[in-house]
Amino acid sequence: MEKKIRRFNTSKRGKQGADIMAAWDLSVTVEDLGPDTPPVSLSVTSDLHVGGVILKLVEKTQIKRDWSDHALWWEQKQCWLLRTAWSLEKYGIHADARLHFMPQHKPLKLGLPNGITLRLHACYSSPVFQTVMHICRMLNIRHPEELSLLRPIEEKKKKKDKDSTEEIYDLTEVPLSSASRPCLYNGMPAHFADSPQMEAVYKMLSVTQPPPAPEVIAKQYRPASVVDKAHINGRWLDSSRCLMQQGIQENDRLWLRFKYFTFYDIEPKYDVVRLTQLYEQARWAILLEDIDCTEEEMMLFGALQYHISKVSQSEPQMLSSSAAMDDLESALQSLEVKMEGESSSASEMLENMTAPELNDYLKIFRPKRLTLKGYKQYWFKFQDTSISYFKSKEESIGEPIQQINLKGCEVAPDVNMAAQKFLIRLLIPAPEGMNEVYLRCENEQQYAQWMAGCRLASKGKSLADNSYQSEIQSIHSFLAMQKTNSSSHGNAPANDESINTHSLVSPRYHKKYKAKQLTPRILDAYQNVAQLSLTDAVMRFIQVWQALPDFGLSYIVVRFKGSRKDEVLGIAPNRLIRIDLGVGDVVKTWRYNNMKQWNVNWDIRQMAIEFEGNVNIAFSCVTADCKIVHEFIGGYIFMSTRSREKSDVLNEELFHKLTGGHEAL
Amino acid sequence: MEDIDAMFSDLLGEMDLLTQSLGQETVPPEALPPTNQEVNYSIGFTDLNESLHELEDNDLDALMADLVADLNATEEKLAAEIKGLKTPSPTTSDLPPPPKGLSLHPPSPHPLPASPASSTSSSVSTPASSAASSLPPPPPQNAKPTKEEIEAQMKADKIKLALEKLKEAKVKKLVVKVLMNDGSSKTLMVDERQNVREVLDNLFEKTHCDCNVDWSLCETNPELQLDRTFEDHENLVEPLSAWMRDSENQVLFQERGEKYEVFKNPQNFYLWKKDKRALKDIKDKDKEILIQENFCGTSIIVPDLEGVLHLKEDGKKSWKQRLFQLRASGIYYVPKGKTKSSRDLVCFLQFDNVNVYYGKDFKTKYKAPTDFCFVLKHPQIQKESQYIKYLCCDDARTMNLWVTGIRIAKYGVSLYENYKTAEKKAAVNSVWMNRSTPSSSNPSTPSPTIKAKTPNQANGHAPKPQPTAPDSMDFGNFPPPPSADILPPPPPDPAFPPPPPSLPAKSSSRPVAPQHKLPANFPPPPMAMDNLPPPPLPPPIDDSPEAPPDFLPPPPPAAGFGSLPPPPLSMNSLPPPPHFGGMDQSLPPPPPDPEFLPPPPPEPVFTGAGAPPPPPPPPPPPPAQAAAVPRAPVRPSGSVRKVPPAPPKRTTPSLQVGGGGGGGDFMSELMVAMQKKRGDH
Repeated sequence: MEKKIRRFNTSKRGKQGADIMAAWDLSVTVEDLGPDTPPVSLSVTSDLHVGGVILKLVEKTQIKRDWSDHALWWEQKQCWLLRTAWSLEKYGIHADARLHFMPQHKPLKLGLPNGITLRLHACYSSPVFQTVMHICRMLNIRHPEELSLLRPIEEKKKKKDKDSTEEIYDLTEVPLSSASRPCLYNGMPAHFADSPQMEAVYKMLSVTQPPPAPEVIAKQYRPASVVDKAHINGRWLDSSRCLMQQGIQENDRLWLRFKYFTFYDIEPKYDVVRLTQLYEQARWAILLEDIDCTEEEMMLFGALQYHISKVSQSEPQMLSSSAAMDDLESALQSLEVKMEGESSSASEMLENMTAPELNDYLKIFRPKRLTLKGYKQYWFKFQDTSISYFKSKEESIGEPIQQINLKGCEVAPDVNMAAQKFLIRLLIPAPEGMNEVYLRCENEQQYAQWMAGCRLASKGKSLADNSYQSEIQSIHSFLAMQKTNSSSHGNAPANDESINTHSLVSPRYHKKYKAKQLTPRILDAYQNVAQLSLTDAVMRFIQVWQALPDFGLSYIVVRFKGSRKDEVLGIAPNRLIRIDLGVGDVVKTWRYNNMKQWNVNWDIRQMAIEFEGNVNIAFSCVTADCKIVHEFIGGYIFMSTRSREKSDVLNEELFHKLTGGHEAL
Repeated sequence: MEDIDAMFSDLLGEMDLLTQSLGQETVPPEALPPTNQEVNYSIGFTDLNESLHELEDNDLDALMADLVADLNATEEKLAAEIKGLKTPSPTTSDLPPPPKGLSLHPPSPHPLPASPASSTSSSVSTPASSAASSLPPPPPQNAKPTKEEIEAQMKADKIKLALEKLKEAKVKKLVVKVLMNDGSSKTLMVDERQNVREVLDNLFEKTHCDCNVDWSLCETNPELQLDRTFEDHENLVEPLSAWMRDSENQVLFQERGEKYEVFKNPQNFYLWKKDKRALKDIKDKDKEILIQENFCGTSIIVPDLEGVLHLKEDGKKSWKQRLFQLRASGIYYVPKGKTKSSRDLVCFLQFDNVNVYYGKDFKTKYKAPTDFCFVLKHPQIQKESQYIKYLCCDDARTMNLWVTGIRIAKYGVSLYENYKTAEKKAAVNSVWMNRSTPSSSNPSTPSPTIKAKTPNQANGHAPKPQPTAPDSMDFGNFPPPPSADILPPPPPDPAFPPPPPSLPAKSSSRPVAPQHKLPANFPPPPMAMDNLPPPPLPPPIDDSPEAPPDFLPPPPPAAGFGSLPPPPLSMNSLPPPPHFGGMDQSLPPPPPDPEFLPPPPPEPVFTGAGAPPPPPPPPPPPPAQAAAVPRAPVRPSGSVRKVPPAPPKRTTPSLQVGGGGGGGDFMSELMVAMQKKRGDH
């Protein structure tokens, strides 16, 4: 509809323009007047500068408002007329030009790495690089150069999807000025402190999301092959051109993602949002098998997710303070209080220092002994990091039958809630090898206590360790998980106490294991991470992700010069790799620091790269524009210059130089 | 034998008294029940006794020497502290122990079991080191703390000390016999909290080796034909405790090039797939980039290893080939008929509970395809068992790739930190070696240098001295000093331009003006610096902002200098320790130093050494020795900066002095007891 009107107008205007020589009519569509309003016609001369046109236009509309953000967009040429001092002639604008007068900042729907959509004002007139910078500043994400925007994957529209009315967090009220120079308030940008709603938005940004329901994971698009993974990279926007130029309209949806996998100077104190979103992106990359990992690694990722969701619920705001120092201080203070308190405090203190014990009747079984007796009951005593057992409680004063030091041993659970089986399997190192010992507990409570003790002891910690209680807690909650899983088969994450373990792993494992089979495996991995703080756990997740062999690879399907088949180019932070699609193997690796130069032949859309030692490669890109590949490589080289530059200011010019290509110049 | 035990506990009591008597002057004793002390002794000594029983006589001698030296050191310290107490400057003497603790902390292995139970805050004792490791370092000292601050600080320190004491009660100590390269052995006492780095430092002191980064402690297991190098951050006592009573395992002190090879030639590990020629030509810059990428990011990157290895089948002497892959999370293999994709990999083993060992001569022992085998096992397993995993590689290179890769996966960033520490140590030492070789009569002086250095390392932002390091190591081996001994340093050399003009240029400090005159009527040793090509050495550590003072001659009174005999003579006739002493004596009251140096040691120590009171000037450099020269002038000033005037430990002179506090009698008694024991044998 709109287009028709416009065409009609131009033809009319064309006639008029022919009639008048010096002054001619320029028609401008003013968006704020509504889509149905015909364009405003202005009588202009060719030497009138753009600023003058705007002035005339504003006078003519007779609307009093702040027009400062508005600018002229030239539709045919797909460019903004931002130089207000330039004359129409200089811009080459004639009467047939279709101009639009509209704000440079318009609402944009932005999908975040955590899967939540924001609505905010983004700049449609500056290069995407700058737009991202502004967005990141508004969201309080440092190092915006690592992120970029991409077009989302079209979701298959299923009619039965009723709950598609997703919640959108609105940030359009944030004044543009405050985004450009945020001052921090309570650790967050001041504009988030304005209202409870805004604070909720900040919470969403800075606190990790609860694990998604398994169905949600299953429903999402998962790349099945390297080629699938390559397609996503064709969606990145060009950093050197603006949103309007790339066909992004008001209220369109884009994704904000970390694009360059070199995360510079992560500082949990300042990077709450950055770290949270990075974690979310990593988590989804794992859950959707965007990056491959082994089963053991998946279990660790699952355990970390479980831990992170648990801890972030208990301490919703990780208010930044140096934890280590505080710990020491509070420890010292409490001690001080004790010491100052009474004169008898010293002995009291000693009492506190003497380790607590566990004493109970348990059953033991040692498979190595080749006896058919099975489990035999003894009186057990858990002290420090050792277990000793006696014939009976009465004889526990004397020498134990045996004492087992658990330091360095392996502890594994063998639990079946339905069968009321609570076994602790211990592999105890000895000079001759590992001794296998099973301890059988009567009930959940007993099991949790002894299991927690064994776990700590295996790491050389005694029951006095302050993590003992939390260890017991986590064992309980895992037992609870098993209970719910066995009763109701994996329905959405119910309450915080029990998370469906299918929410923590990729769909491949949904098929491979039942939730209750998964539980002990995740619990197993969990014991190594259970003591981490929220930040440490998030950092660990990111580190384990970064340590995966395929981490940081962005794939593009390319055709090498002289080759007849498609191959895959992997772009990593420090190297390029060539992958044979047939075998799936890395055929060749080139490192950037051996790179002498790279060129793009924009006419035939071919990249040519020269490495030291007279190595030349050339390829054309199949699944992405060669500008995207060019920008990836230039971008990584830009990223590597950051450490050398001391100033905090982002060298935007260098980025464009390295990534822009001839279009930017 | 019981005599010795008795003596030991007496000795402890003695030292305790000493420390207590001192402590009471400063701080009221903490309310710790004395019963606790008793307990401490017994716990501490069961192990000690056990290990003492196993000692041979010569070991006992060495140990004895250690103890004597330590006792002396303590006495000196006491003396120094008493002296410090008398001086009116409250900032230095009143300030509580943590800084002191730091200054004696890592490299000085205190085998002294004494202090644990002493219950006052000023105890000059080992616990400090545990404090430093288990608690965050004490806050930096202000130049002028307010009274409240001091009080608060003292309170905090008291609490800390109390905590330390409680910990100390359980500290385990072992007497360890370390086999040297030449077949001899040294005996050390190692306490539970000491890590391998500290033990190495201790051995460096004892052996005068060049301290290069390759020096390692290794553990051998003859029964399993295994060996491995301990990592520098590991605690030594723990793995040793896993040894069986009748174990033939040994601890060796040797150079192991493979220990830090990955940092010297990262390309061989991270680019191992490339052809060897390309790897050889790799530039230093590229090496550094590799290290940056893999060790300095948020996550440590494990070399991407994949290959067919032979795996020994459980309980059999047959070996099966499998395609293995190393990942940060463990070793995996590709099951038969599956692809190499991550999700199909089967976990062979994770590293939490195992160590990696080199296998020796497995071809004969287990019929391995080659002798390039490595083994993964729980450190406590000491005999053959199905829980030991044996792997065999086709060649040595592959084996080293895997072993190093596994170490990176297991230890992560600690490995790199260890290397940086070792490298720094080597660099410092090579500087020192050049300075101190003439002073062979005083072998233990290096320790202060080292000591002063370590706190810096803890702060750990080291500009990478990698390219320079090899140089400095070479220098360590150089014997430049001999030349200094043989050649009488030439008197005033016409080649040297008159020094005074150049001095002000270098040293911007006005206050030292009088010294300009000194060099004028004197051969200009320090000035030599200016004429020479930029020294290859002073490694990064040396070019601190404090550099200018380096070039000043030591600041003793001018009169002393003037009256000195011509340098050549004094050079040859004087034993070098005086440098040290002279330096100390001439030191102005310790500057408000962040490291908080204890006051200088009592003078008698130096007279005891037989040195003439006026310290001789540093030897003027022989011009011929261009390479070695730059070091010489640095000597005095360098040590002024680096060496805290802490009382030298284990210096020979102190032997006589040591007896002052009654400890001497005591020691002689102990010696008698030892001899008695020897007689019994």
